[in-house]
Amino acid sequence: MELSEYVQRGCQMLADPGCFDLAAFALVLRAAFRSLLEARADEAVLDHPDLKHIDPLVLKHSHAALATCILEAGKQKADKSTLSACLEDCKFDRERIELFCTEYQKNKNSLEILLGSIGRCPLLISDVSWRLEYQIKTNQLHKLYRPSYLVTLNVEDSRSHPDISFNCTMEQLQDLVGKLKDAAKSLERATQM
Amino acid sequence: MLLELSEEHREHLSFLPKVDYAVVAEFGRIALEFLRRGSNPKIYEGAARKLNVSSNTVQHGVEGLTYLLTESSKLMISELDFQDSVLVLGFNEDLNKLLLQLYLDNRKEIRRILSELAPVFPSYHNLEWRLDVQLASRCLRQQIKPALTLKLHLSQDGEHSSQVLQTDPATLLHLIQQLEQALGEMKTNHCRRIVRNIK
Repeated sequence: MELSEYVQRGCQMLADPGCFDLAAFALVLRAAFRSLLEARADEAVLDHPDLKHIDPLVLKHSHAALATCILEAGKQKADKSTLSACLEDCKFDRERIELFCTEYQKNKNSLEILLGSIGRCPLLISDVSWRLEYQIKTNQLHKLYRPSYLVTLNVEDSRSHPDISFNCTMEQLQDLVGKLKDAAKSLERATQM
Repeated sequence: MLLELSEEHREHLSFLPKVDYAVVAEFGRIALEFLRRGSNPKIYEGAARKLNVSSNTVQHGVEGLTYLLTESSKLMISELDFQDSVLVLGFNEDLNKLLLQLYLDNRKEIRRILSELAPVFPSYHNLEWRLDVQLASRCLRQQIKPALTLKLHLSQDGEHSSQVLQTDPATLLHLIQQLEQALGEMKTNHCRRIVRNIK
């Protein structure tokens, strides 16, 4: 796990008991996780009375360093020994390392979900709706007598992308379902490998 | 069900007995061609010169025939009803037979052409799929995230479009389940009763 010089310096300040006592360290640590993981994190996470005596510049720098460190660990899926080695390099004592690792373990899953959700991918299908109708006649054509399906694929982020609707005959729907089933079978086979 | 032929329509068709059967057959071919690709007035002029009549007469003849064929196809009238309907035109038997043959030979295609005129959504054309496993991204290494990438081809007004979509295994199973229910619905008593009774 590689950290930039700026981040290392920030972490080293956190490791310094003269700068942050253990209680203050724990406060900044929790604040860092909260500001990363909570969608509507309190903007005043660092306004705790117990942090009042710390220089705001130092506080801000160390908070940013800790957040970067957490993100980097999450991104690399760092295990405990990697994490400890890295924090030791930043002069963290045993207690602080333990505290960091405990807090990290607690938030690991949410962190992974957050990081996994960043990035681009094609439009995601989230659901499907359908409607069955029996066509009887149009002004141009009588005696149609055929079933017809209207299928709507709901997509995530439907604000910027409208849902996809299309008509299909019974045979076309059978074709569509057949192909999706093929895909599901392949998926099942792949998971058994 | 008999066709109702208006006075004007009958008058337009009255040109047909005045020419050879081969010409009527040719008019039928032209009528079909115009239904497929739209009309071309130049053809009327050429035919009018050959037959030594006005191009208007030819146009009315072809249009009359077109209308006769499209109306019968639209209503899907039976062979017998078609024969009875053209009887009022007072043509001889051979010409009536020729018209019937034109109708029967082309009914399927005309109905297909007419069906294109109905207002429709884009319709399903094809689906391609690919199974992927996302292994890493800039923000997160060491992932195992299965995903199904789909390319859905739709067609509308003869034009094809396609869209790339993605879904996860759980949603895929849900989609299959929902769409199978949709297919199964047609076999329920309710739907079968409706289908049986609408005739």
